[in-house]
Amino acid sequence: MLSLGPIIFGLILGLIIGSQLKLNVNDTNFTLGAFVVIFIAGIIVAWQSGNYPFYTDLPISTAFLSALIGIFVGKLIFARSK
Amino acid sequence: MSQNSVILKLISLPISIILICLGVMTILGGHITPGGGFQGGAMIASGVILSILVYGLGNSPLEFSHAFIEVLESVGALGFIIFGLIGLFVGGFFLYNVGTDILNVVPASIQAILHYPDVTNAGIIPYLNIFVGLKVFVGLSSIVIAFEGFKKLTEEGE
Repeated sequence: MLSLGPIIFGLILGLIIGSQLKLNVNDTNFTLGAFVVIFIAGIIVAWQSGNYPFYTDLPISTAFLSALIGIFVGKLIFARSK
Repeated sequence: MSQNSVILKLISLPISIILICLGVMTILGGHITPGGGFQGGAMIASGVILSILVYGLGNSPLEFSHAFIEVLESVGALGFIIFGLIGLFVGGFFLYNVGTDILNVVPASIQAILHYPDVTNAGIIPYLNIFVGLKVFVGLSSIVIAFEGFKKLTEEGE
């Protein structure tokens, strides 16, 4: 059975932190491709973590994956430039 | 006090993001596995600290404003105290684990959100972990932001 708790709260915590992610200030250029690579690396880490928080749902760490998605969504929606 | 290495600047933001996700994972599994609010919050803060140390204050992609830190610290402390007072009024003791069915008014669908299918159901512990995690991650991050600010002031004064 899929547990909704880690997905919901992982998304909320990710949104909170992702809303502070600002990329227009540092001198290293992170393009869309860089974020795709980070996302793929995150999926691999989540897969290797197994069904971590509650051991009965998907064979992937749902909390990790939802936090990663939350960070990216929060950056896209809420992040403002400095 | 930023670093000049291009390799460090390329790799530290992806590592910060992965560290933050691992911290969130640790917070949300804290009631049934080793870990919890403080450890997960410290892991999130380590991601933020890595970013600030490499890129420098004012140039870091992950940096928190005063208002952001203030709001999250207050939400974390208030949430913890509210859950403690619920335990005091319902169970008779501060932070008494009253379970998720508080005063028989919480719907079953909300009770089942963080329900662990085991005899040792955690009750309010996952929610306490989330509030402690919020408080710890902004607290530790703010310490490093303050230290970096002091260092910057000292360097400007010399």
